[in-house]
Amino acid sequence: MRVYILRSLWTALYAQNVAPVGLQLHSMITYATVAMLMSLILEVDATRLIREKLREGTIATDLMKPISVPFYFFSDGLGQTALHALLVVPSLLCALLLVRIDVPSPTTFAVFLLAFVIGYGVNFFLNFLMNCIAFWTLETFAAQLIVRWASDLLSGQIIPLLFFPGIVGRLVFALPFAAIYSTPLLIYVGVIPPARWAIGIAVQMLWLVLFAALASVVWRAASNRVVIQGG
Amino acid sequence: MLGAYAQYWRINLLTMLEYRANFIMWFVFTIVYHGVALGALFVTMERFPSMNGWNFRDVFFLYALWMCGHELHNTLFFTVVSVPEYVREGRFDRFLVRPLDTLFQVLTVPQQIVPDGLILGIATLAVATHVVGVRVDWVFALFVPAIVFGGALIDLGISLAIATCSFWFVRVDTLRWVVMSLEQDFTRYPISIYGRGVQIVLAFVLPFAFMNYFPATYFLQKAEIGLHLNPAVGLLTPAIGLAWLGAAYAFWIFGLRHYQGTGS
Repeated sequence: MRVYILRSLWTALYAQNVAPVGLQLHSMITYATVAMLMSLILEVDATRLIREKLREGTIATDLMKPISVPFYFFSDGLGQTALHALLVVPSLLCALLLVRIDVPSPTTFAVFLLAFVIGYGVNFFLNFLMNCIAFWTLETFAAQLIVRWASDLLSGQIIPLLFFPGIVGRLVFALPFAAIYSTPLLIYVGVIPPARWAIGIAVQMLWLVLFAALASVVWRAASNRVVIQGG
Repeated sequence: MLGAYAQYWRINLLTMLEYRANFIMWFVFTIVYHGVALGALFVTMERFPSMNGWNFRDVFFLYALWMCGHELHNTLFFTVVSVPEYVREGRFDRFLVRPLDTLFQVLTVPQQIVPDGLILGIATLAVATHVVGVRVDWVFALFVPAIVFGGALIDLGISLAIATCSFWFVRVDTLRWVVMSLEQDFTRYPISIYGRGVQIVLAFVLPFAFMNYFPATYFLQKAEIGLHLNPAVGLLTPAIGLAWLGAAYAFWIFGLRHYQGTGS
């Protein structure tokens, strides 16, 4: 259904307006469809467990165990993601009945997958950080939804970041959200040519490392806090 | 009954004034939510100035009209959405043994209701009306509130129908989610961009198009190029709302007669 709406929308828009440079209608439909399929995987909040464990207090025993707790959360999230990834298959088949999406060359697809995995990592750490707020406030629902909505818009999930005008356009590309959806998608539809793949991925990696570092700092501060509270 | 209803709102209002921080938080929440939707529309239409003859300002007005009706529903009738939960937990049976009308009781469940969305909706509609340059004459002044109310009734009818389904199926969260997201997507753009079948469904089966598309077509003096109806059908929204709610109410009564409880 979503795919139908997206197709109708973009078809109507392209039919009556001058197509913007660099993104034809079929690319746009491909972009929107792939973005929707990606969101099925990326919208799983893999680190929700942190919040739940904090509320129930079981996080204290987890911290005592001789395991890396963040890694434990990551594995748990990965499992949930894998489950949702299975759901993508029927959605993909339905989508293919409704729209024709472009199939890129195997190399492009491989690079897209790589970028997608990095994007998944950035998204994971973003969620991780959001859930860590719970160490201080216990409730993160509001903050989390606001960030989620903002990131839907700023990551290029709803509309390609290419469409943002002027200075705002440059700004959204510079934000970390772009690493989640925009980079993989633009590689897929070929807006980022092979010559610039390396740069795109490098920028993504930069955000990934930065977020991972930030997450580890926050995690250390947060787990100290639990100790102070006595669990 | 009206007296009781007025009393109910007085208490709600007092509760709201008591929790001012909560009120502000919800306000920010609602602003970001609608802000993202409008922001996405703005950026898209910056690139593609025309959507079947509608520009950004027209679509902004379309959105504001839907937002008002939808938020009015969320303010006045939101407790209907919790009916499946009451059914599941067995709390619904309480309403059935009391001597007041069941639906009235559902509508007056004490709940923290924040009219943030409604306030924001009215403000957005005022801005949109100004921006789009609609002539505010007596037809506008008379019909827009009625249309907003009619839109809220359409929404209420849908909530009520979904709630009634829970008498049989107990869990209807997914159904509700699907219908709500369809409403959101299908009310965002002029329905003329969709295929004929979908347009007919939106006009006559699930009449979302009456919440904003038809009225907006009338007020913006556009030709209705989708179903080739006279744009003045947009003024029928209150009647459509009542009819649709009537149908949903009949279904609700039918459901009540067959209600068996969940045994919990």
